[in-house]
Amino acid sequence: MKHLKLFLAIVGLTLCFTAGAQSQDAMRLNEYLVVNTDDFQDDFGQQNAWFELFNSSYGTVDIAGCFLSDDPANLKKYAIPGGDVMTKIKPRQHVLFWADNQPYRGTFHVSFDLANADEIIFTKGDGKTIIDRIPVRHDLGENVSFGRVEDGIGSVEGDGAGWAVLERTSPSTNNHEIDKGAKPTRMKEIDPYGWVLALTAMSVVFLALILLYFIFKAIGNANIRAGKKRSAAASGTDVKTSAYGEVPGEVYAAIATAMHLYQQDDENHDEESFVVTLHHTDRTYSPWSSKIYTLRQTPQVNKRR
Amino acid sequence: MGHIIENLRQFWQFTGFANFEWGYLIMILVGCLFIFLAIKYEWEPMLLVPIGFGILIGNIPLFAGLNVGVYEEGSVLNILYQGVQRGFYPPLIFLGIGAMTDFSALIANPKLLLIGAAAQFGIFGAYAISLALGFDAAQAGAIGIIGGADGPTAIFLSSRLAPTLMGAIAVSAYSYMALVPVIQPPIMRLLTTKKERLIRMKPPRPVSPTEKKLFPIIGFLLTAFIVPSGIPLLGMLFFGNLLKESGVTKRLANTASGPMVDIVTILIGVTVGASTQASQFLRWESVKIFIIGALSFVIATFAGVLFVKFFNLFLKEGNKINPLIGNAGVSAVPDAARVSNNVGLEYDPKNYLLMHAMGPNVAGVIGSAVAAGMLLGFLG
Repeated sequence: MKHLKLFLAIVGLTLCFTAGAQSQDAMRLNEYLVVNTDDFQDDFGQQNAWFELFNSSYGTVDIAGCFLSDDPANLKKYAIPGGDVMTKIKPRQHVLFWADNQPYRGTFHVSFDLANADEIIFTKGDGKTIIDRIPVRHDLGENVSFGRVEDGIGSVEGDGAGWAVLERTSPSTNNHEIDKGAKPTRMKEIDPYGWVLALTAMSVVFLALILLYFIFKAIGNANIRAGKKRSAAASGTDVKTSAYGEVPGEVYAAIATAMHLYQQDDENHDEESFVVTLHHTDRTYSPWSSKIYTLRQTPQVNKRR
Repeated sequence: MGHIIENLRQFWQFTGFANFEWGYLIMILVGCLFIFLAIKYEWEPMLLVPIGFGILIGNIPLFAGLNVGVYEEGSVLNILYQGVQRGFYPPLIFLGIGAMTDFSALIANPKLLLIGAAAQFGIFGAYAISLALGFDAAQAGAIGIIGGADGPTAIFLSSRLAPTLMGAIAVSAYSYMALVPVIQPPIMRLLTTKKERLIRMKPPRPVSPTEKKLFPIIGFLLTAFIVPSGIPLLGMLFFGNLLKESGVTKRLANTASGPMVDIVTILIGVTVGASTQASQFLRWESVKIFIIGALSFVIATFAGVLFVKFFNLFLKEGNKINPLIGNAGVSAVPDAARVSNNVGLEYDPKNYLLMHAMGPNVAGVIGSAVAAGMLLGFLG
């Protein structure tokens, strides 16, 4: 039992840590625009350079405490402040930062601009681990953005793999059009024979049911032990001494009767399965206590004419 | 007189005879076959009678514009069909299934859960075959779920992944569920030795009411956290079971497991049947779906029985599982469990496997809902 608890605790903690560790690592630089003359406006009505982060995971990620920079020598140039609910990025959603070098304007205005930047670097909360980086191209022209062809897909090493000049800017939204068939189409490309999905899904089905097995095995064992203790306390004997061979004949007779009654009438069946109980019957009803006989009849007036 | 003849001529154009095509006749014969099988052999009559009659309803030749067909927006049949299209009938059926299912056999011997998981290989085997036969991934997922042997789940998933194939998938799933007593026994005999068939399993221990109350709560939380996309099915299944086991909502449980599930079964059966209009149904794709469906049941049965044999390698003498209950891992409740019992009795007239087989059988319901959630997550 102790081993089981330990195992479950380890599994639980591993899952928690895995989930936590995955989260910020799943953030991706997704698109940027350097020269903004006729594109998206910020809350102040100004058109500045912007870049976009994308949460590529299926869980919400809090990016508060992470860093953004344009300088590899100073990764902590702009710390994303805590205490702002907007830094919690929903699954598969985007967040836009304004590279206007005016950080006092709010959480999403960073302390550098892209006109003078060589690259954009997104760093973890430890200030050392670079999650994603991308060189800044200055040859794009006005209102032309550079981004990942598919959201979140491609290199994080700064070599630009998976990035391209986009046909249109798409601040805070998908870089490519997602139609309903996109997911299955991609799945068939990745996994043409279905084995990957089969193994993945079967692993999850087994995982779910194995966890359920462990939990109910533990609950069942605890229940059996508690039952034995109760029996021992009630009878004052060691339950281990009772065995099938020592069960008196009356018990078998009672069981047989109960089974018979169970077949006759389902109401004799207790709420738990495999247990059929003979209830003591209180015959509270008798003609002597019947209301029919004890209540007086309503007096009626016989009118004699 | 001329007006009367003209009116009669117009009326003739309205009739089914004037709009008759051979496809309709074939589908009407299929519907009659379903009704015959249900009445004569009692094969899943609760489903085959409504589906069979639904096929008759859906295959009366019509001309467009009468606003009575199941695919004509706003028609009465179309409104009833929304429950299938939008997928709200299947969770309601799961509520009823939960309220009428006794998970005691599973709680008493939780290792039987794993058999329910193993049998889901039928789903993914069918998925792989569907891909090989040229279906796209979403369609393959919807077809694969036939291997779960669970009609409501098949309807739920196909309504999301491949609505155009839903009629064929639903009819295939229910047909093969009805044919479980025909499909499974030869495979069970093929894969087991006489000695294995004679294994007697320990009687299940009594399960306390507390365990039964905990099962739906823990079961739901665990499975839904792992596969949130399965919430509509898993949530309703476990909620229904909690209504039953809580002991304080007897009226709700009775309604869920009685009148409500009956009403939804009628509606789902008739509308799924009506959706199999000849023009939609009589296609080469439907034939392929029926072939894949049969194979999926075969794979699921193979996987369930072989898994038990494999599992037995690790179990001590006296704790071994009779591999004849392996087939019950598909979630055709309780037919698959009944098959285990009947085949077991052929070899040992005193070896009643029914209660043991109910464990993997209800585990199969959970397993197929989890698998459906996975497919929906990846392909939806």
